[in-house]
Amino acid sequence: MAKLSELWRRTVFFFQRNKMDRELAEEMRQHLELKTQKNIATGMAEQEARHAAQRQLGNLTRMEEESRRSWGFPFLESLLQDVRYGLRGLRKAPGFTAVAAITLALGIGATTAIFSVVNTVLLRPLPYKDSQRIARIQTISPMFPEFQLGESIPDFNDIKSGARSFEAVAVYEEKAVNLTGPGEPEQIAVATISSEFFPLLGVSPALGRGVLADDEQRKNGDVVVLGHVLWRERFASDPNVVGKSVMLEQKSYTVIGVMPAGFEFPQKSTAAWTPLIITPENNKRGDWFFSVLVKIRPEQGIQTAQNELDGLAARLSGQYPKEDKGIQFKLTPLQQQVTGGAKSGLMLLLGAVGFLLLIACANVSNLILSRGVQRQSEIAVRAALGASRARILRQLLVESLVLSCLGGTAGMLVAVYGVDAYRALAPADVPRLSELHVDPAIAWTALVLSSLAGILCGLAPALHASRPDLSLALKDRISSGSATTHRRFSLRGSLVVVEVALALVLLDGSALMVQSMVRLLSVDAGFRTDHVLTAELNLPNSRYATPDARRIFVQQLLDILHAHERLKNVALSDSSVLTDNLKMMMFDPGTLGAGDNSTTLQMRSVAPEFFETLRIRLVAGRLFKESDGKGSPRVAIINEAMVRRYFPGQDPLGKILKFGHEPDDQPQIAGVVADTRDVHLRTEPRPQVYLPMLQNPDPSIHLFVRTSAAPLALAAELRKAVWTIDKDQPVSRVQSMTEVIAESVAEPRFRTWLLGVFAAAGLTLTLVGIYGVVSYMAGQRTREIGIRVALGAQRGNVLRLVLGQGIRLAVGGAIAGVLGSLAFTRLLKSQLFGIKSTDAATLTGVVALMLLVALAACYVPARRATRVDPLVALRHE
Amino acid sequence: MVRAAAKNELLPGTLDMLILQTLTRGAMHGYGIAQYIQEISDEVLQVEEGSLYPALQRLLVKGWVKAEWGTSDNNRRARYYTMTGSGKKQLGAEAENFSRMVQAIARVMQTA
Repeated sequence: MAKLSELWRRTVFFFQRNKMDRELAEEMRQHLELKTQKNIATGMAEQEARHAAQRQLGNLTRMEEESRRSWGFPFLESLLQDVRYGLRGLRKAPGFTAVAAITLALGIGATTAIFSVVNTVLLRPLPYKDSQRIARIQTISPMFPEFQLGESIPDFNDIKSGARSFEAVAVYEEKAVNLTGPGEPEQIAVATISSEFFPLLGVSPALGRGVLADDEQRKNGDVVVLGHVLWRERFASDPNVVGKSVMLEQKSYTVIGVMPAGFEFPQKSTAAWTPLIITPENNKRGDWFFSVLVKIRPEQGIQTAQNELDGLAARLSGQYPKEDKGIQFKLTPLQQQVTGGAKSGLMLLLGAVGFLLLIACANVSNLILSRGVQRQSEIAVRAALGASRARILRQLLVESLVLSCLGGTAGMLVAVYGVDAYRALAPADVPRLSELHVDPAIAWTALVLSSLAGILCGLAPALHASRPDLSLALKDRISSGSATTHRRFSLRGSLVVVEVALALVLLDGSALMVQSMVRLLSVDAGFRTDHVLTAELNLPNSRYATPDARRIFVQQLLDILHAHERLKNVALSDSSVLTDNLKMMMFDPGTLGAGDNSTTLQMRSVAPEFFETLRIRLVAGRLFKESDGKGSPRVAIINEAMVRRYFPGQDPLGKILKFGHEPDDQPQIAGVVADTRDVHLRTEPRPQVYLPMLQNPDPSIHLFVRTSAAPLALAAELRKAVWTIDKDQPVSRVQSMTEVIAESVAEPRFRTWLLGVFAAAGLTLTLVGIYGVVSYMAGQRTREIGIRVALGAQRGNVLRLVLGQGIRLAVGGAIAGVLGSLAFTRLLKSQLFGIKSTDAATLTGVVALMLLVALAACYVPARRATRVDPLVALRHE
Repeated sequence: MVRAAAKNELLPGTLDMLILQTLTRGAMHGYGIAQYIQEISDEVLQVEEGSLYPALQRLLVKGWVKAEWGTSDNNRRARYYTMTGSGKKQLGAEAENFSRMVQAIARVMQTA
């Protein structure tokens, strides 16, 4: 209470301080007057009496100042004074201010931007209710040891009824579905979901209703919930869409609801949700095609839930040995599942940007340091006039704080635009991109951090500058060769060494990434990727349910395309290339006779001209022919990897592959072709079996058309050709193969690009840092150089002298940087293709570049030093 | 000289107490306070008179005294200081503290 009223009085006095001042002065004048009169009364002469009174009263100016200190807030006032003074100082040195503020803005802005991305993508909870408790269950089966599978419907039902750890369990399956009706037919991504799906995620439709238990029994006919994008684009955001019908897979579905904008689960591309109808066909144990979402009870930990699932898996394994033998259920938090893939890349960027921030801080520290040296005499004058060390320290710190606030504010702008740019430039498959923005909390944190950075940057220089050797600084404006200079030199020097080292690590990392990218893009895929147009057809079950129906479609498609002048070089396959997707085939161990216990092969069914069109080399035997059709003997083509693995030293031609007991499942090997990297450029070729498409027609058809002109020019003609067979058949993902490849490497390319930008920024800052330090050191030695020149030193000698000093620092930094690179680039290992993280050539090149840059940075001040006129330099004092 | 040695050697913090004690007699201006302290203490406590004013400002901020402009005996405008309620309380506390201290010092001086 007392404190509060005192504060109030202080504030009142503060605002009346002019009046208070006048009154005090009057009071003291009166005192002096009375005192003088009293002295006169004791018999002094008037002059003497006045002097005596003044003596008795003491130093009036000091008293007034002391009094003033009790009104208002002296600390704040002098702080404000420091800020004003700091701003004035910065205005007077615009070059210094600009370089320092830009450096800080770069460091702080880049760090804030990347941290915002990390925060949004990795740290912030997913936008679902109690999202921390949502998890996915996947199956690991000894039959597919390398894969994490989904669940089968019977296993899902057992989990739902048997596991006590979950308050909700939902199941869904992702599908590509043909949407027809008015407008062009279109293939959309649909999730078929159980009724628990939306409630578990805690998301309700913006219009209409979600999927109910009745819908799973088809009691309301076929129903669909539209995604916001589909609703907007296909239904023009019709508010009365509920109750209307949509044609999916040639069947009529009634719209029951529309999801809110921004709901993107399970995929960003998911356009609609339909109820999952359980039928005898999909209710099979061992068909691990379904995804299971669970919400763990709040009182249960994930480990308890996992333990319960382990018990359940063991029980099912014993109960259903045929399908479930040895299975495990793996519980993964949904957040980890969604963002896991992006984690290593983002952490890498965060580390890189942290390095950049450190370089920026070192640089600004150095800049402030050199400015402090220039101001040494000013500080000495202040100290001589009685400023305490704490007071000088505070003033210097306030100045760097002002500077870092400038830098921090500019950094915020960099961050906001940086995040915008990130969102615009990042490949679309980065998760949660649409949620991305600069979080105000992060922005504030960054501002606070930048202030801290400012204090840190300013602290070392301020400590140095506030301990001036008074007599020396006052006597000798440019001190040279003294002990203080030496100490300062080593601090500045070590800052540069650190900078060089950090920049070198950044450069090495980014050079490794660039080379990895180049090697990835120039790897021999085993097939031609230029001048190829790709497209995808998914034959709907409603129209093409039987293999024969699909066979007829494929035959018609081939006939039409072969007759087309520009589309005749066409390859068909049942799966895509270079999209990280592959089709696997399961077989019993020992089937291939090699005693190998691996039970999966990569499988692709292709139309006859597949190999010719994509220029895949035939090694032995023959390729497929038109005659390898329905009635003819089953044949297969294998790749060289398969020969190496299963038929080493043998002639595989004519051998029978027993994939089952039916004759149709036992093709004879007719040919061997070269290996391809058809899954992804970075994926090593695996043993692969090709089967003729006409013997194994699949509902999924991928087209590859070799063109002589720009591939995309033929897109419309390709669509038209397909629609002459079936006008309702969507032709989706019409792309050139070049685009497919660009998409497949978009993410690492983006990361490489960003890392390159950071490394370039780091290198530039280091260049500025070296330049600043060497200029300063050369300036310090002006007199010495003058003497040397006067004594007959040649230009070359002077040049070498200055260059040598800078290069010594750079070499020191380079050595530290090489060690740092060896330590840090190990973290890159998983992201590199075709190059070791310790690649000596890269490291050598990067060191050479760094030294070259250092040399360039030293050269300018060194040249300036050679022009020192000895007369001027010696008279300098 | 003893007096010279005693001059300005006021115990720290005691000036506030002396001012407050003086003001128990009623409103006084700065000059009056200084004269009173000197006279009463037989000129032993010779306050550097100027330092009275910073001390008065401190007391004003603390709220222990109030200041008002008035007219002095010889018809001059002067600022008169009076003690407030909380000033009285403060004086009580300081006086008690002080006498405890003096007694303690006296005991030490007698026994040693």
